[in-house]
Amino acid sequence: MLDLRLPSGLFFAITGMILVGVSFTNPHAAMTDSNVDLYTGIAMLVFGGLLLLLANRSRRA
Amino acid sequence: MHLTPVDYVILVLYFAFVIGIGWRLRKSVTSAGDFLTAGHHVPVWITSLAFLAANLGAQEVVGMAASGAKYGIMTSHFYWIGAVPAMLFIGVFMMPFYYGSKARSVPEYLKMRFDEKTRGLNAITFAVMTLFSSGISMYALAKMFNLVLGWDFNSSIILSGAIVLAYTYLGGLTSAIYNEVLQFFLIVIGFSPLAILAVSRAGGWGGIQQRLPDVMTHAWKYVGHANQNPMGVEVFGLVAGLGFVLSFGYWCTDFLVVQRAMAADSMSAARRTPLLAAFPKMIMPFIVILPGIAALALTKIGSGYALPAKGSGYDYDQALTTLMAQFYPSGMLGVGLTALMASFMSGMAGNVTAFNTVFTYDIYQGYIRPNASDKHYLTVGRLTTVVGVVLSIATAYLAAQFNDIMDFLQLVFGFVNAPLFATFLLGMFWKRATGHGAFFGLLSGTAAAALTHGLTDAEGKGAWIAHLHTFPSQMAQNFWIAIFAWSTCFLVTILVSLATAPHPESKLRGLVYGLTEMPSEEGVPWYKRPVPLALVVVVTLVFLNLLFL
Repeated sequence: MLDLRLPSGLFFAITGMILVGVSFTNPHAAMTDSNVDLYTGIAMLVFGGLLLLLANRSRRA
Repeated sequence: MHLTPVDYVILVLYFAFVIGIGWRLRKSVTSAGDFLTAGHHVPVWITSLAFLAANLGAQEVVGMAASGAKYGIMTSHFYWIGAVPAMLFIGVFMMPFYYGSKARSVPEYLKMRFDEKTRGLNAITFAVMTLFSSGISMYALAKMFNLVLGWDFNSSIILSGAIVLAYTYLGGLTSAIYNEVLQFFLIVIGFSPLAILAVSRAGGWGGIQQRLPDVMTHAWKYVGHANQNPMGVEVFGLVAGLGFVLSFGYWCTDFLVVQRAMAADSMSAARRTPLLAAFPKMIMPFIVILPGIAALALTKIGSGYALPAKGSGYDYDQALTTLMAQFYPSGMLGVGLTALMASFMSGMAGNVTAFNTVFTYDIYQGYIRPNASDKHYLTVGRLTTVVGVVLSIATAYLAAQFNDIMDFLQLVFGFVNAPLFATFLLGMFWKRATGHGAFFGLLSGTAAAALTHGLTDAEGKGAWIAHLHTFPSQMAQNFWIAIFAWSTCFLVTILVSLATAPHPESKLRGLVYGLTEMPSEEGVPWYKRPVPLALVVVVTLVFLNLLFL
């Protein structure tokens, strides 16, 4: 059976990298000064990485 | 809303993962049971998140933000008084009978417990309603994408239908459930930044409280009388109609959600599925309702953001998408849009996988071809998946053409659903309830619902027989229709049951309270036991309600 943490982790890690990547060139949106892409991108990278780590650990065990 | 290439890249990446998960799971489908019931081997953390996500359709997400802007924090009653108590009830009290009966569907449980005609009634109405709601939400989504992004109506429908079909056809229920979890994560990550940004821009919760009328930021203070709050409901109608009849009717009997719990790998996991789902469910109002309230506050203070106007008021349904356009830069906009698409697909896949199971087992195997091979039912299940998606698409076009017929059908389905929980409550906890009692109870409950609607009026709707009473709002009318339907079904079921011959006790083992061995919990740690888990939820729930009293 497929370990769901693997594809979900991968998806969020890749999307997180894309967001962090574009965050340096993007103008921010009309209503906010925060760099939304950067912060959400980092959060996604952390979440995705965590899922991948857990999946990897249970595969070795 | 303007999309850039990076937004499309994220959307396409998501589609690739969704179909990829279906493709990887296709090998695990070797029997009809694998395809339609996920073979009872899905881990509990996955079933509980799927239990939540299957209900979290796009209409729900968009609609809750709209209600937040229109009614304020009172909208949270749909979660804190509505969904969560019912989820605790099914986990603690009802799941032992559902899972223990080994029924493959909710209608099949009704056949074991009551009789063929009760099952038939439930199976056929459920199958029709499921397709219908799948088509309606498809129509709503395509219309929204057309409005917000200028996407072609036909292409939106065909594309979303094709993707849902691809992954449910490949991996069946397992694939639908796995993808629902990914969709749930995406919905949380895609929408919670919006809640944070919009609320902080409106001055935080304190700022919102200062800028909006008191009634928008209190959940309970103004429910004493219907004319004090914008929902037009009073506390009895709210608690009995929404909290008890409607919510228990949905969360405890609707096969769409019950199916997710039944896919768990053990009785204990099946019982914990709705209980664990209750934790994120309690938090959802902060993600889906708060942005709507913030949108109204931002409109009032002239911040640069304003809800689109509609007539003399606002177009609340656009609250979520207009907020996204104003707060999300490209990149994050793609994530938000993908989350919206994901919430739509989780709702539709939920409908399709519930439909194919009920059709294959309860209608096809029940009435058309009872004794075929398992391989045959697997083929039928797959074909039904295709037919289900095609019929959903047809319904979507029907909705686009004939709005009145759709409103009428939706009303009738409401009448059919309202009494259901009385039947299940008596069926599971009173062994004397009989098949005739259940069947005629359901019919008279539906009739009572129609009658209530025909005799009362609200916002110009109803009273097609005579005019006896006027409700302050359609919501109040709905709650009271449910209360009358439930009570009628409850009474008629008892009376008819007492007048008909009881079912022999030997046939009720494992199906009714008192004749079913309750699962032993000896040596199980407290956080894996249903009752302590439910108590933690109750304490949190009371705390949340006090916070927004």
